[in-house]
Amino acid sequence: MHPLFRSRIALLSYLAAWIPIGCMFGAMVSISGGLTWSESAVVTFPGVLALVVLVLTPWYTCRALPLRSTPPAKLILTHLVVAMCVSTAIVLVDKISVAVFGLWLPDLRGRFHGAIPVAAFMVLLIYLLSVALHYTLFAVESSKQAEVVSREAELKALKAQVNPHFLFNSLNSISALTATNPTAARDMCIRLSDFLRSSLRLGERTSIPFAEELALTKTYLEVEQIRFGKKLKVWNDLDPACDDCEVPPLLVQPLIENAIKHGVATLVDGGEIAIRGRKIQNMICVVIENPFDPDAPVARKNGFGLVSVRNRLHARYGNAGRLETEVNQNRYRVILTVPCERHRQSAI
Amino acid sequence: MKQIRALIVDDEDLARQILREYLSEERDVEVVGECTNGFDAVKAVTELKPDLLFLDVQMPKLDGFEVLDLVGTEIAVVFVTAYDQYAMKAFDAAAVDYLLKPFELERFRTALQRSRRRLEEKTPSPAVDDLRRAASGPGQHLQRIVIRDNARVHIIPVDQLDYVEAEDDYIGLHTGGKKYLKQQTISSLEASLDPARFIRVHRSFIINLDKLGKIEPYTKDTKLAVLTDGSQVPVSRAGYMRLRELVDSK
Repeated sequence: MHPLFRSRIALLSYLAAWIPIGCMFGAMVSISGGLTWSESAVVTFPGVLALVVLVLTPWYTCRALPLRSTPPAKLILTHLVVAMCVSTAIVLVDKISVAVFGLWLPDLRGRFHGAIPVAAFMVLLIYLLSVALHYTLFAVESSKQAEVVSREAELKALKAQVNPHFLFNSLNSISALTATNPTAARDMCIRLSDFLRSSLRLGERTSIPFAEELALTKTYLEVEQIRFGKKLKVWNDLDPACDDCEVPPLLVQPLIENAIKHGVATLVDGGEIAIRGRKIQNMICVVIENPFDPDAPVARKNGFGLVSVRNRLHARYGNAGRLETEVNQNRYRVILTVPCERHRQSAI
Repeated sequence: MKQIRALIVDDEDLARQILREYLSEERDVEVVGECTNGFDAVKAVTELKPDLLFLDVQMPKLDGFEVLDLVGTEIAVVFVTAYDQYAMKAFDAAAVDYLLKPFELERFRTALQRSRRRLEEKTPSPAVDDLRRAASGPGQHLQRIVIRDNARVHIIPVDQLDYVEAEDDYIGLHTGGKKYLKQQTISSLEASLDPARFIRVHRSFIINLDKLGKIEPYTKDTKLAVLTDGSQVPVSRAGYMRLRELVDSK
């Protein structure tokens, strides 16, 4: 069915748009045939009504003849033939109505005869315009669809992504520990596996309880704490009220990863990452704060993690989810605000 | 056998530990020090004069390339890095020794053996500019310039550069009324800078477009660029054409 019938507003606006077109049509017939305004109105009304329905038919013909794969000659010929048929049909309807009203107005037939070419041409034009509009509609729709598909693919890639730098550095730490502290090496192996396993598992889902995201983040931090030793300190203050809110996976962990990579790791003596989580009305608000070295080399640190989180927030919540950053002297602060959703049905 | 004095530079304890462990089995290598950041590394090189450097790439203060830039080419260097697709390609292209974390003893010994040979043959280290340019990946430009003045290290963000002047084997970096000398060619610096912001207006001069005040006629063929701080820089005919092209395209 034509998309216009899917929404009442669209249908009504379509019909409203026909009021000026119909008036113009009537006016042209009136001028070219020497009919009075009221004569023209009653005579052309049935034809215009038919046209209102017929100009929607390109939805089917345009679909059957896609712009890209149809030879141009076939394309033009088909639409032109259909347009002529429609034009002939409308003129026929007009003629019938002239014949009916001609019972009362004997000279109507003669006068209308002079208006036929104009009427036929106008119908032809309106129909072809509708063909063009339908092709535009299809193009817009397919580009929208392509955007959705590419965004989904991007999200999938982002979710599956474990920072290789983190992975190889962790493996190097394990390699170092095997000689001096095999128990610690084993411990780190297990934590790293835990992190990889849960990020793979959670990354497949569209929503996870906030508590699970925090657990993942905690495992990640445990691995990093072995790597960085005393340099990395973590301070938590998390409101348990957030725990069963549903959020997209890997929302907080990339922010912590950023806080380490561009913050704590840039400092000679390291520093502390502060993580605060609050439930404010129906929103989860997470604030992550870390010190950083403002003089650190800035090459290739455009905050890829932040961009990806921001894109994902936008894709999911529109303007309801936000990610803000603040720089205050040597401290960097990220504020994440997302709606607390409970048991979303769309666990695809 | 000649003793090799080695310095380990890495910000992670465990990463230094494994190098120390592997090096402890090499009789001709003595670990003279360990550093956890780029500043300390430059200082330690000045004071301890090591022959061989194990150098992490990502570190606080100065990265591995900046350290190499500052310590000169007399020292043999083995880069140690976890993962960096561009750096790896750059190392390969420049024939620099590098170890990818985690690395095995065999691989470590191969790198060390190569360093021994380099030290015997006194092969200089490769040009750090080319190396860094290749390692920073496409579309990335130099963000800051490091200069060593004895044990002191100056860092000049490129935004703050007014202009650069070639002086024999050196370049003079003018920033905020001060001038710093660095041993480098003006062409190699030009290649590292963002071409949309820095223009070679003359064989011996590069200016920062953001600091350009106005252009005045000078002689028949040349012009004079007056910068916002009042300093005057000669502009050759070819330089003026490059400048026009860039300004017009903006």
